[in-house]
Amino acid sequence: MPSRLITRRIVDWLAFLFASAATLFGLFWLFWILWTTLAHGFAGLNGKLFTEMTPPPGSEGGLLNAFYGSMAMILLALIIGAPLGIAAGTYLAEHGRYSRLAKVVSFLNDVLLSAPSIVIGLFVYELVVLPSGHFSGYAGALALALILLPIVVRTSDEALRLVPDQMREAAFALGIPRWRVTSRILYKAAATAISTGVLLGIARIAGETAPLLFTALGNQFWNAQFGAPMASVPVVVFQYAMSPYDEWHTLAWAGALILTIFVLGLNLAVRLVARRGK
Amino acid sequence: MTAHASIDRTRSRGATADRIFNAVTVGAAWLVLIVLLGAAASMAWGGRLAFKTFGLKFITSSEWDAVGGQFGALVPIYGTLVTSAIALIIAVPVSIGIALFLTEIAPRWTRGPIGIAIELLAAIPSIIYGMWGLFVFAPVMASDVEPWVSVHLGQWPVVGPLFTGPPIGIGMLTAGIVLAIMIIPFIAAVARDVFNQVPPPLKESAIALGSTRWEVLNRVSLPYARSAVIGAIILGLGRALGETMAVTFVLGNAHDLSVSLLMPSNSIAAAIANEFTEADTDLYRSSLIALAFLLFLVTVIVLSFAKLLLMRINRAHGRTH
Amino acid sequence: MMNDTPVYQQPTEAMPLLIVPNQDNRPAGATQVAIRQLNFFYGKSRALKDVSLNVVANAVTAIIGPSGCGKSTLLRTINRIYELYPDQRAQGEIEIDGRNVLDRKYPLSDLRRKVGMVFQKPTPFASSIRNNVGFALSYYERLSKSEINDRIEDALNQAALWDEVKDKLNQSALGLSGGQQQRLCIARTIAVRPEILLLDEATSALDPISTAKIEELIHELREKFTILIVTHNMQQAARVSQRTAFFHLGELVEFGRTREIFTNPVQQRTQDYITGRFG
Repeated sequence: MPSRLITRRIVDWLAFLFASAATLFGLFWLFWILWTTLAHGFAGLNGKLFTEMTPPPGSEGGLLNAFYGSMAMILLALIIGAPLGIAAGTYLAEHGRYSRLAKVVSFLNDVLLSAPSIVIGLFVYELVVLPSGHFSGYAGALALALILLPIVVRTSDEALRLVPDQMREAAFALGIPRWRVTSRILYKAAATAISTGVLLGIARIAGETAPLLFTALGNQFWNAQFGAPMASVPVVVFQYAMSPYDEWHTLAWAGALILTIFVLGLNLAVRLVARRGK
Repeated sequence: MTAHASIDRTRSRGATADRIFNAVTVGAAWLVLIVLLGAAASMAWGGRLAFKTFGLKFITSSEWDAVGGQFGALVPIYGTLVTSAIALIIAVPVSIGIALFLTEIAPRWTRGPIGIAIELLAAIPSIIYGMWGLFVFAPVMASDVEPWVSVHLGQWPVVGPLFTGPPIGIGMLTAGIVLAIMIIPFIAAVARDVFNQVPPPLKESAIALGSTRWEVLNRVSLPYARSAVIGAIILGLGRALGETMAVTFVLGNAHDLSVSLLMPSNSIAAAIANEFTEADTDLYRSSLIALAFLLFLVTVIVLSFAKLLLMRINRAHGRTH
Repeated sequence: MMNDTPVYQQPTEAMPLLIVPNQDNRPAGATQVAIRQLNFFYGKSRALKDVSLNVVANAVTAIIGPSGCGKSTLLRTINRIYELYPDQRAQGEIEIDGRNVLDRKYPLSDLRRKVGMVFQKPTPFASSIRNNVGFALSYYERLSKSEINDRIEDALNQAALWDEVKDKLNQSALGLSGGQQQRLCIARTIAVRPEILLLDEATSALDPISTAKIEELIHELREKFTILIVTHNMQQAARVSQRTAFFHLGELVEFGRTREIFTNPVQQRTQDYITGRFG
């Protein structure tokens, strides 16, 4: 008997070791990647980043048009995708909670959530770019909106479901029409959770490259017109990193650093606020 | 009675507003459906030329010749599957280990911060992974890891050929490792949530009987959460299959089939990302879109399966409570 | 315990006619809610079996019984709040002022205006105190801003909350204590001037002091409203109500004057429950 106990203790100790090692393993990669991005990107940080356009090969420049393009397309994607996502989430949680359509949509929405974003990019290519004959910021924004959509649907659905049934019933018992119950009372109660979801969605689409490759394409010059190809930070980083030019590599790292700071910063801020709210 | 009339007007306006609001939410819900089906249909439509031209050979041929107009999907499919398999082999034990750590071993005050740190791994844009992979990790693989692997593992009887090859750094092994790091947070997060949901009485009675922490995990938590953990793993697989940017940087865009994991290859997503803007013929473009269709089909099937498994654990919880 | 002089006046046999605003002059003892042959189903299982009950106007009727006996279900049938859930349905009739409210044709908004409900857990809306109380007013009546403010003050007064919140009407309702929040919910409900109040275990989640305050409130509100309370606390039922209905396993076992039910019940089951043999 004692030897069995010792074996069990050894196994337990090994498991403890393994679990700790696994966690250290995970954290190791995180810190290595972040450190790399910081070190390489820092070298490329300077004022020109925010004042000059993307340069031709072999020269120095900035990323102004890429920053602007990213911000513009994210904003447009937000305007298109967030209200639709919240509306669909409202259907899943409220108006259609027990319906067959809701079950199907909820299921497929989660599938869409994890589906390859490059396919979405090609979809918008076929839908918008081919018929219109050219790449455009509109197409890029639409692709980003379609990636944002399932995220907002899922988080809105969950946010509304968190509102206790009794609050719903109290509102209905007062005789308030359904749409007012949803818009005035439920949205207010779920506001923090819904905004959290939207912000996390923004963090996700800010870093998406593949869907922009065949929709917005990219633009070496300043372009504020949605109707023409638009530069974006991830695409510029992709192109410059894959190139053989050193100046472009430096710029790519700088762009990667800014992007990482934005995305991780948003993530952390949102999670900290959510925790404090609880 | 004027009060009543105005009440009636308010009420009927309320009813119309109700109908409009309802219609908007229903429409938005349908939209999600339409997007999914539309994407699938549009890929199928765009790929029809390739499917018609090559038929079933599309999947079995490894020839990828842009000039001669011969396109076969075998190499991208192979690369996608192999890199995903490597990713899963590495990620699954690590994720479960992390989940165990976060739910049982870590001191309570560290669970939040460490959990957030792991989640940040998921938040890092994949292009950052790609850049880090290309400029930092691949060189390390080339200079340190792969020569070691080639010399030591390359001599082993059956699996030897998998590990022999020039230490380029760019290849299936590197891509597989990068993918593994990317999907670890997804699997770990779901596993952690599920382990936390194991009812304390179950765990406590095992502990009261003298079980060690590992035994509680192995005999109580894992069986209870088995469907969910498998679901999480399949979810990770689904993500790995479709990952583009990280893989594009470090897989190599090769068009030859290699046995050795140290050699470059191609994945469906990487092939599309690398070549679509250069595709100059209809057949070329159609072949790439056909690849996208295959990828979409496989991911939808895999993700649906994962979701069904995850749903099953929720329903089981409902019944046992 | 049941024979002790309760805190509140016991109703006497012959009660003077009360002049009540908001309601037609009704002789005391008149039925306001007539429940006839009510059956209720959750999916396939029957939760209420052929319940028939006459609820007296301007009186407090307590509904008591062990958990799962159908008390809350009965309340939720009266204002048809169960219709939010597709697998729940009711059969039978509930007549309020002569009209069957379970009839599909009876407008839900009329019903919800006549019948107010307060739930077990206080559910203030994530808004100011003023907005909470005045929320539903604009759906029923066209009122000017000052009229709305008057109604809010009136309702808060009736709910014995006005003095405590009159200086902070614009602050969030979530900052109030549990007992205050529940009184706010009561104020919110009576602001639309219903005739019938349904209180579903309204004090179960509160501390004893808040509970006592709300029981005092119920005693005062009785003059203007017909009140049904569901409670698992028998002493509360005895303190607060004039009529008591005892339910068991979905059936109405006994119904009568509170004093009689607690001192001289007719049915053996009632006797067993009251003396604590089960429940």
